[in-house]
Order: sequence, then C-alpha cells, then structure tokens
Amino acid sequence: MTTSLASERTTAPLIPPSTHPYAEVIHRLEAGGSMLPDTPENLQQIIGIYKAYAVPMDFYWRDLLYIAERVFLNPLPAFKYFLPQEYLDLPNSYAGDQAKLRIWRGGEKAHPELLAFMERGETGRMPRLLHHLWHDRVNMEFAEACMQAMFWHQGMGGRFNDYLESEAYRANADRAIRAYFQGNPLMLGLYRLFPEMFLEQVKRLSYTANLGLFWEVMAPVFFEMSDIYDEGGFQGVPDAMDFLVNGIFAVAGRPIYHHVYVGDTCYEIIPKSAGFTWLYEAALPYVEAVFYRTSPFRGTRSYNAQAHQVPADQADFHYGILYADVFPVGSAGIPPTLLMQDMLHFLPPYLKDLYKQHKRGEEDELIQLGISFQRSMYNVTSAVIQALRGALLYPLDDTDPEHLLANRRFFEAQMDRFLRPEARLSDIQSQDYR
Amino acid sequence: MASILDTAAAAGAFNTLLAAVDAAGLRAALEGPGPFTVFAPVDDAFAALPPGTVQTLVDNPPQLARILKYHVLAGAYSREQLVAEPAWTSLEGAPIPIRRSDPFEVKNATVVNADLLCDNGVVHVINRVILPG
Repeated sequence: MTTSLASERTTAPLIPPSTHPYAEVIHRLEAGGSMLPDTPENLQQIIGIYKAYAVPMDFYWRDLLYIAERVFLNPLPAFKYFLPQEYLDLPNSYAGDQAKLRIWRGGEKAHPELLAFMERGETGRMPRLLHHLWHDRVNMEFAEACMQAMFWHQGMGGRFNDYLESEAYRANADRAIRAYFQGNPLMLGLYRLFPEMFLEQVKRLSYTANLGLFWEVMAPVFFEMSDIYDEGGFQGVPDAMDFLVNGIFAVAGRPIYHHVYVGDTCYEIIPKSAGFTWLYEAALPYVEAVFYRTSPFRGTRSYNAQAHQVPADQADFHYGILYADVFPVGSAGIPPTLLMQDMLHFLPPYLKDLYKQHKRGEEDELIQLGISFQRSMYNVTSAVIQALRGALLYPLDDTDPEHLLANRRFFEAQMDRFLRPEARLSDIQSQDYR
Repeated sequence: MASILDTAAAAGAFNTLLAAVDAAGLRAALEGPGPFTVFAPVDDAFAALPPGTVQTLVDNPPQLARILKYHVLAGAYSREQLVAEPAWTSLEGAPIPIRRSDPFEVKNATVVNADLLCDNGVVHVINRVILPG
C-alpha cells in the first residue's frame, strides 16, 4: 500500500512529507484518496453497506418529514411511525424522472425492497399494528436519535440554530401552534401556561425536518452507488468517494426549511426564503453531531460524568461511529444496534457471503456489518473532508507550495481529531479488523 | 464610468455571474448607489464547480443570493485597502479572509484583475467561486 501511494503522490516534489502520526493517510488524501485504503474488499464492503443503509433511510427521511410536517405537536403520537401512503409515494426532489432537478436515478416512490419489508418483516404478513408492536419494522428510533444528537449539540456551523432563537421563528411557530390546536382549549391553555415548552418541541421538529431533508438526498445517492458498483462502474474506493464529493456539491444549495400542514394550509415555520442550505445547515452539522459527537448512550459501558468520564465541552464528545466500539448488544435503547438491525434486512448477497467467511459467520453478522458501516462512514467523512478542501482551499494538483501547505494543514487538523485512542482510523487501515 | 453590472457585461467574461445575479433577484440592489466591492468570479470559475452545483442554486434564489452576497462587501475598497486587513465581513455575514497581498489572494481565489473602478463601487476579478465556511 505504502509503495503504490508513494508513487501516486503528486505533492512530493513541492512540499516535504508530513510528520503527522497519520502521515500515510494524509498523503493518501493529498493524492485524491480516502481515509479508507483502496482495496477491492473495502470497496465491496462500503458499497454493500450503502445499499443496506439506503433502504431504511428511504423510510427514515419520509417519516421524519411526516413527523415534522403532519404529526407535529400531537401529544400522543402513537402512530407517528405509521407512514401514510401519501408519504410513501412522496417523489424524491432530486431523483427519478419526475424530479424538477434530476440528479440521481430512481426515487419516484418508496423503494420496492422497503415496501416488501414493511409488508412481511421478519415474521410474515400481518396487520401493520402487529408488526409495530412486535417491533418487526424499520427502527425509526435510530433516526430520531440522530435528530436528537443534532438538536442537542446545536451550534455546529451554519445559521440554523441562530434562526431558532429569532423573533421571526417564534412568531412563525406561534402561528402554527395556534392553528394546530384550534378548537382544543386544553392544549391552547397549556400553551398559554408553558409557551417555552411548546416552542422547544417545535425546535425539535425543525431539526426533524432538517434531517429528513438531508437524508432525502443521501438515500438515492447510496442506491445509485450500489447500482453503479453492480454494473462494474467503480474501479476503487477513491471513485466511490469522488461520487460522494460530486453529490455534496450538486445539492449543496438545496433549501433546508420546516413547513407544517394543518389540513390543507401550509405554515412556514422556517421558510425557504431564509436561505438555509443543505451543505451548511444540514450536512455539516449532521456529520459533526452524528459521525463525531453523538452522546454517551447506554450501551456496553456506562459513563460517570462526575468522574469526568464525559467531556465537559460538547465539542470534545467522541461517541459517533468514527469512534465506536462496534459491539451491538440486543437490549433496547441503543440506537446503533437499531441501525445495524435495520441494515441486516437489506444486505446484498455478496456481503452475506463475506461475513459467513469470517469470524463467527452469521453469529456475529451484526458486528461485522457494523464495522463495514464504520469503514463506509470513514469514506463518507473523507468525501466531506475533500469537499471542504475543494470548496475552501486549493486543488490537489495546485503548483503553488503555499497552497499545498494550506491543504496539508487542513488535512492534518482533520486527522488531529482521530488522535484520541477511541478513534478507529488506525483499525480500518487493516482488513483484519472485522 | 459604468455601473458594476455594466462593467461586468462589457467585459464579456461574466455571463454566468450576471445570469446568477438576475436569478437571485439581486440586479436592482447591485444597480443601486452602493458603493460595493464585488469579487467577480469569471465564467470558468463557475464551470469548474461539479455538475449540478450551479443549477441547484439557480433553482433556489434565496440560497443563490446567499452565495452571491458572500462575494460582495459594503463600501468601495481598493486592493491597497483590502490587503491592510486580515479579513472583511461580506454582505452574507461571513468573513472573507485576505490570504496574500502578492499575488493578491482572497480566500482561496486569486485576484486576476484588481481595482476596476465603477460608478457604484469596485470590481476585483477572481478565478474561483468563493464559499463561506
């Protein structure tokens, strides 16, 4: 690996090699590569996982928008995961022939594999309520945990959070709340008594819309990557990363908004005219909140904040997938386990075969696919890092040493975040990490 | 002297920028008295963005306006004045760092033609679209 990377490096003659502990990864990034080594198996693992992720994600984004736009402040939202046909048929804004701006394939309606799973689940054909109660369904709790992470960490770049504190937002939310509870004196009375509590819930729902709009874009991206791979279109991990980089730019300007429908009336809590964009107000905060930070969820170990086992500064949180010890235990309330289980239902056959050949085969499939997911998210993070470098800094083949050094400083600063012992960057350099 | 937009139109290398200004509904503002300092990316700068980037923005005028406002300062400033400060606040609200004075570099763009004086401001021609962040 090192030898071939050395020959790929375009910067060697102009600036000295990096002395960073992750110098090898930095040189790979400078050569247009990913944090994930370019091997056929890595490509297979990440694409297979993108496919398995895209199917539940097609449910996540639809349901997140349904919750934010229709369920809204329902005080007993027992049926918020019961997607109405209208949202299952909601055409994707950027995929399929019907899209006003078609960037990706597919997307006219919910994916057929998702619909098939919703009908049969793991158990068999039965009424939706029974599937729900038996928990034989898509785990929306994972999607809501991601939203919660964005909501809780807040201020991670972009202006979304500032807007939630503005008078304009308060007035828009007030209009929607009054319309939603029209004719309900009990809830209107509670609103008069505890207005901040209601406003806080609306803010939460604004993040719900934000994440739904973010994933509306990512689901068709991952589907198309799987299709391209099946057609033999990607030659290596960098190709897959470049596809993501282009995708990030293509929809960077997509509006992020929060509309609420009461009957046929639309209330614009965050109007499109606020100018919020997919890249700044959704994608970057998402990556920061979900890939890096999240929160010390109850899992295989517990944390004691009083004993300083949890950082005092939210920016130092490091419980995201890039740091996770992927060991899904089956108990409730552990969001990553829920995602692993969701993806298990949609693994392509080549990944099932791969997992059977390693470790404990089907017995620890959840762990193996969790580690594939970790690899795939290191690749997505690489795409974000390369996109930011492209947007804010200089081309990789720039000939000005000052520019190359600026790129170097940027890459090194990004890698500094993986110096803490929990980071899995060094693990994913080896194929033996499964 | 001509206005900022007339100067850009006469130069012939800013067709995408001018179309974007119209799509974003910023023409009237930029034809006002200002004065403004405009960092004007050439057509090649827009063409260098990955496919779809410009189209998504053109389809969404408020979002396009935000990116364009990042290329504008309130007040008319020459190269000499600009390089005296480390950063300037754009109309978008985010700062534009001045990275080098010679060659004159604004954020990650190089100014290929500085100090085009207009009725309502100054234009500096840049080789790359600059983005906040």
